[in-house]
Amino acid sequence: MRRIDLKDILQRTLSDEYGDLVTRRTGRAVRQAIERDLAQDGDGQAAAIDFRTVRCLDLSCADEIVGRLLREQGAVRSFVLLNVTAAHREALQFVLERHRLAVVVQDAGGELDVVGALPEAARRVFGALAQAGTAEEVARRLDLPADVARAALEDLLERGLVVANAGIYGPPTPYLFGPGPAV
Amino acid sequence: MTRVVEVPAHFDDRSFDQFADGVGAGGSERLLFDAHATQWASPYGLVGLLAAGQAQVEQQRERPLLTLPADRDVAHYWARAGFFRHAAEYFELHGKVPRVAASGESDVLLEVTPVRGADDVHDVVDRIQERAATILSRELGLEAQATLGFAMALSEACQNIVEHAGTLGWVAVQTYNWRRTLKRRVVVIAVADAGIGFRRSLEATQAKRYGDRWSDGTALEAALVQGVSRFRDPGRGQGLAGIRRYLGRWSGKLGVRSGTARFTLVPPWDDDVPLAHGLPEFPGSQILMIIPAQDGGAAGHAAH
Repeated sequence: MRRIDLKDILQRTLSDEYGDLVTRRTGRAVRQAIERDLAQDGDGQAAAIDFRTVRCLDLSCADEIVGRLLREQGAVRSFVLLNVTAAHREALQFVLERHRLAVVVQDAGGELDVVGALPEAARRVFGALAQAGTAEEVARRLDLPADVARAALEDLLERGLVVANAGIYGPPTPYLFGPGPAV
Repeated sequence: MTRVVEVPAHFDDRSFDQFADGVGAGGSERLLFDAHATQWASPYGLVGLLAAGQAQVEQQRERPLLTLPADRDVAHYWARAGFFRHAAEYFELHGKVPRVAASGESDVLLEVTPVRGADDVHDVVDRIQERAATILSRELGLEAQATLGFAMALSEACQNIVEHAGTLGWVAVQTYNWRRTLKRRVVVIAVADAGIGFRRSLEATQAKRYGDRWSDGTALEAALVQGVSRFRDPGRGQGLAGIRRYLGRWSGKLGVRSGTARFTLVPPWDDDVPLAHGLPEFPGSQILMIIPAQDGGAAGHAAH
């Protein structure tokens, strides 16, 4: 999984004085730099974008970076947003709801969640995936019929919010990213 | 020939229509903005006054005159708020401009600041975050999440100028006691420009839909209620909707005036009307955001 540090991107593209992701112009420049980085990878390679150094994220920037990346690349790769704060979440939620999209986020403590538009059943099933598991295991954890859990997991898979290997579902490689600063 | 436009004694969003009426009346005479009797001006009044002067200059009319407030304290406050730093560009000033020293202890969170492009928005957001977080949480009892959303709302309001005005605009942020109905401390963001306004900005994409109903009022409705933008990108038009949501959550007030109409998100503590039509024409757009102290927030200092 490629890890993209927004601080590096900002320094490379705009200015090392910027600590905020605000304005559509900044968002566009950052997204284009991310797209150039991702172009080095093949389709299907997941990407983690690190928000650790970002103070303010406004709606225009959230839309240009995350909204457009998901709209244009969400079908070919999964994204995880790292070190996302409550304020970042608010901007992301607003933007992604409008586009009916969702993304996996991880806070500074390592906790995973989904932000954006997602049916309640799928959201609940995602919440039970702290440990990867089969549809039957997830169904047992939530006391759900297996077919209901499987349908929700397939929904999450289609949206790029989980990965699956040999019938085992899990969030997109969260174990690579523990709490604490980026390395 | 010079025509006098009286700056209201208490110059804020409520008296702005009276001011706009004075600016718009008459013909192409040189204007004299008379503020000598002004006792108080909100950030909205100050950025609106600058926009009025800017409009005169951009319309190639003779540079207007401005008589300064006679009250020394009022003139000092205008100086502290950074008004005179920009006023000389648009007005021939009459009266002594007070010299003020910069002070860290101030209810002026952001002095009157020009917004020309994206770099200015970055600068505004950067500066406000330094001061606002402490003041908003300590004086207004706002949660950390509200203070971070505050910078977002400020950024989006400033971008409205960059994206839609077609000219530069102004922003100012201040805290003060809201005596009228609320009797609490508030933080006020005021953003004004003398640009093309909402109706002209949206005309090419929206006017046909509305037909004969197309006006400043329907343009504001389209932008603020339906979230439409002049851009076809589906991600556009979120800024003002985001500001509405933010202010709604914190019982805040949003007022957006453009041309002859004003849209207001009316909080429970205010008695404004949601949409006012037929107001005196004023160029560009003017945005007002008021966030009140939450329950338990400190009553704070006296109004200036």
